[in-house]
Amino acid sequence: MSSRSRAFVRLHVPILLIGGVGIAFEIALMRVFSIAQWHHFAYMIISVAMLGFAASGTAVALLRYRLAGRERVFLAAGSLALSISLLACYYASQKVPFDTFRLVTEPVQIRHLAVLYLTLAIPFFLASWCITLGLLLDRGRVGRLYAFNMAGSGLGAVGVVGLLFLVQPSAVPWLLTIPATLAFALIASGLHRRWLLGLALPLTLLLLVDEPVRLSEYKGLSYALRLPGAEIVAETQSPISQLTAVSAAAIRETPGQLSGYPMGELGELPEQIGLYFDGGSGSVVSRFDGSLEPFAFLDYVTGALPYQITNRPEVLVVGSGGGVEVLSALRHDARGVTALEVDPGVPRLMRSVLREFSGALYERDDVTLVLAEGRGYLEGRAEAEFDLIQVALLDSFSAASAGVYALAESYLYTAEAIVLYLSRLSPDGILSITRWLKTPPRDAVKLFATMVEAAERSGIDDPTRHLAFVRSWNTGTIILSRSPLADRQIHAIRAFADERGLDLSYLPGIEPEDTNRFTILEDEIYHQAALAVLSDERREFYRDYAFHVRPATDDRPHFFRFFRWRSLPRFLEAARGGWFNFVEWGYVALLATVLQAAVLGFLLVVLPLILFARGIDLGERTGVALYFGALGFAFMFLEIAFIQRLMLFLAYPVYAVSVVLASFLIFAGIGSYAADRWMARDRERRAEWLRLVRIATLAIGAIGLAYLVLLPAAFRLGAGWPDAGRILLSVAVLAPLCFFMGIPFPAGLQLLSDRSPKLVPWAWGLNGAASVLGATLATLVAVHLGFRVVVLVSFGLYASAAFTVRRIAA
Amino acid sequence: MAMTGSKKRIRQHGCGFSSAWLVQLGVLILTGLGGLDSSRTAMAQEPAEAEYRAARERLVREHIANPPFGARFAVRDSAVLAAMQTVPRHRFVPEDLIGVAYEDRPLPIGHGQTISQPFIVASMTEILAVGPEDRVLEIGTGSGYQAAVLAEIVAAVLTIEIVEPLAESARIRLKRLGYENVTVRTGDGYFGWENEAPFDGIIVTAAASHIPPPLLDQLRPGARMVIPVGPPFQVQTLMLVEKGLDGKIIQRGLMPVRFVPFTRSE
Repeated sequence: MSSRSRAFVRLHVPILLIGGVGIAFEIALMRVFSIAQWHHFAYMIISVAMLGFAASGTAVALLRYRLAGRERVFLAAGSLALSISLLACYYASQKVPFDTFRLVTEPVQIRHLAVLYLTLAIPFFLASWCITLGLLLDRGRVGRLYAFNMAGSGLGAVGVVGLLFLVQPSAVPWLLTIPATLAFALIASGLHRRWLLGLALPLTLLLLVDEPVRLSEYKGLSYALRLPGAEIVAETQSPISQLTAVSAAAIRETPGQLSGYPMGELGELPEQIGLYFDGGSGSVVSRFDGSLEPFAFLDYVTGALPYQITNRPEVLVVGSGGGVEVLSALRHDARGVTALEVDPGVPRLMRSVLREFSGALYERDDVTLVLAEGRGYLEGRAEAEFDLIQVALLDSFSAASAGVYALAESYLYTAEAIVLYLSRLSPDGILSITRWLKTPPRDAVKLFATMVEAAERSGIDDPTRHLAFVRSWNTGTIILSRSPLADRQIHAIRAFADERGLDLSYLPGIEPEDTNRFTILEDEIYHQAALAVLSDERREFYRDYAFHVRPATDDRPHFFRFFRWRSLPRFLEAARGGWFNFVEWGYVALLATVLQAAVLGFLLVVLPLILFARGIDLGERTGVALYFGALGFAFMFLEIAFIQRLMLFLAYPVYAVSVVLASFLIFAGIGSYAADRWMARDRERRAEWLRLVRIATLAIGAIGLAYLVLLPAAFRLGAGWPDAGRILLSVAVLAPLCFFMGIPFPAGLQLLSDRSPKLVPWAWGLNGAASVLGATLATLVAVHLGFRVVVLVSFGLYASAAFTVRRIAA
Repeated sequence: MAMTGSKKRIRQHGCGFSSAWLVQLGVLILTGLGGLDSSRTAMAQEPAEAEYRAARERLVREHIANPPFGARFAVRDSAVLAAMQTVPRHRFVPEDLIGVAYEDRPLPIGHGQTISQPFIVASMTEILAVGPEDRVLEIGTGSGYQAAVLAEIVAAVLTIEIVEPLAESARIRLKRLGYENVTVRTGDGYFGWENEAPFDGIIVTAAASHIPPPLLDQLRPGARMVIPVGPPFQVQTLMLVEKGLDGKIIQRGLMPVRFVPFTRSE
């Protein structure tokens, strides 16, 4: 074996494997903790653990004298420890009795959380430890090694998503132990033979550890499994969710309050099987034998509103889940129903295990099930196809009221989305959206405002004639009609509300005495808010309302974020005496993540740099901090912004995440490799490197600005394309930008490696810390200022890097 | 613990791992994980019943009769205040939480259930407006605390709990405390307790997407039903269901804390 191919096998291939294992482990943990806890706490836990990545830069920097000359041995030890830690730390993390719900009431939970952070940081620390040592070993060709790391990460990101179609997330740490062990074996093959004994450790763990995800006792699935006679009838997984179907006699979910349902006369609810997505409750499948009689209860929920004013409609149900809204449409004489469902697990179960139970609901002649997200599907459809578009109650009541989705982007509820829905309706068609109501009122108020805004954008002159809003004590249904509501329709709605004991919060010609009759609120805010939004006081209303209820838009698609800093004193006032009732956990978790990442990043990386880097010029230290910090932030800002943008275009969040991650990492890796090749001859010439960085940042800025103008057109062009076409277009769009984004970081490292090699690990650590903080900060910026601002900030940071690069090798 | 073992193995095996920094990290992890078992709050000394009584009185005085978030919400019914003063909440919470039993907050009791905040228990009891002759149905026994508070006021409490271990421990606990007028049944509360109906009051603590229609049928005309609404550890609304003498149902959303998000400009 030539020395070059030896280096390839013993250094570059292992680094490729370790890069892939690191990111795959991160994605798998996200899934694990989304199941065990809640999505945003998963994000918080993983983000903080990722600081282990940054910490190892500091560790290598501090230990550089001990490491000197023995990098290979430490690399081998690190990779061995990594191969053990994946399973060991995953196992330990599932034994920590942490529960987010108890965080407020039990201080000990904070300690559990800290233990969780520390435990999960270990594998990231070790992966980064190996890569940093690799950078030191391949000192002269930093770009090449970095390219292998990036390519590995990109492959890991795609690979794990593919893997999650086949296995549960809990199996991923086990599977990742194999490539990690292989990486160790390759590295150790260059050392003394006794090193290979180390293989026994990960292999033993592979035999011993098989640990399922520890589900929080407060998740819907946990509640279901405690019911008498509860039985898991099926389980299936995809990268989107782990779907569990449970049967128990006591499962009786309805899309809201059954107002005035005479159960004695019309009978009990049909038997149900609960569907639990990621351990949270989501939907139910009802026993159906072709007779719609047992579904009379569906006439008694607010969601039945649109059927009072339609006649044999062609219906589109967005988010059909177990099919309750489909049954409702059939019960109300729909001519045909198109059911959209995002989660591939649903049709999989409905066509197999649950086929008989559900009466093959999704295989009927008058029902078409499409595996698609609402926006993407409708973009590709002709106009005037549906008489009624129903956006189903997509989440459970308890999840909605806990505010755990506060930061979830939802492109179903933006003004642009509603404009699209309207455009696909027949001239008399109706859009109907139902939401769980929260106290104090938020969701339904924002939804009403968004529908008014969309009506105006669609050219409806007088929205007051097009809207109706009916509520029970826990659901609100708002309809928006393309044509003004006719008098007979208004009468029908009044009669429906009256008979069912539902309250009218808005209807053309509504009077105060028509409201607040059956579920009496101390303040009928829904009605007052509806009038305010429809009046010329709208601006003042948005300004003065305690919650953020301005319409959601595609640029700020966080429909579920209601928190406003301005109202904080009022919330605190209400919170006196131990009330945490208005807390939006998603927002709190994000804020906590940003703060923790900032503090820990400072302690782990910046502080040691200040304290221990004696003998290094302060100016140079600042230069390093500014340059690598800016790159970390900028890279993540763009990455997050593109994930958001593509989420809408690719229709599936999971496609968006994996396409963006893989493209960013792989094309950045290629860029970094290309830069390394170009500079092969001019390696020592500082001026050449500086010029390369400037060209790259200029290219990023130029391409990026062009995208701001051209991307919407490109995405409109590709909107109707099949999945594969849209993915290819996305990759083609990302490739040139990412290629150039891959250059500044390794170029800076090379400059540093030539002049102040001891600062290389620190630069690595700084970049890691900035990346973690950047990812969380990008979300916070997007929530408040929109994604356009995120992108612009990122360009600003690249521009600043172009100026500070001079200082790192002065 | 397996984790402990494997960490030790790393240290023995990783020959080069002599750095104090890494050892420090290891120690942190070991102590952190070791600490899990001792996480149960050790009670210094079991205070005498008198101290519990004093804590209870303080709770009633400062949080229930004079809640810090406004006199408007104060519980004034003397029978309710007396009941809150009497029922030993510390006997209803898990052992490791006895030290905080008389703080005005909900506490976990396992199985995804909580023992409600004392203020909410008092408030719901007051809203229910029941007296010494009445019979009350409770759906969701949990720890049995709410049932005990009711039992101090009414003639009989019938309570149904679906989670078997919770029902069992509540039954034993209530019996030990001498609540002869409480009957705990294990089962599904959705259909109420038909052969004991009608009831003079119903409390439903189990979260549901709809109010079980059979419970409405089992409510005596003129009586009330109270439902706390919110995720675990939070109560966002108290739903009051009133059944008129004519059988007509009226619901009221009562905010436990009045928070007006919107004041119309004049």
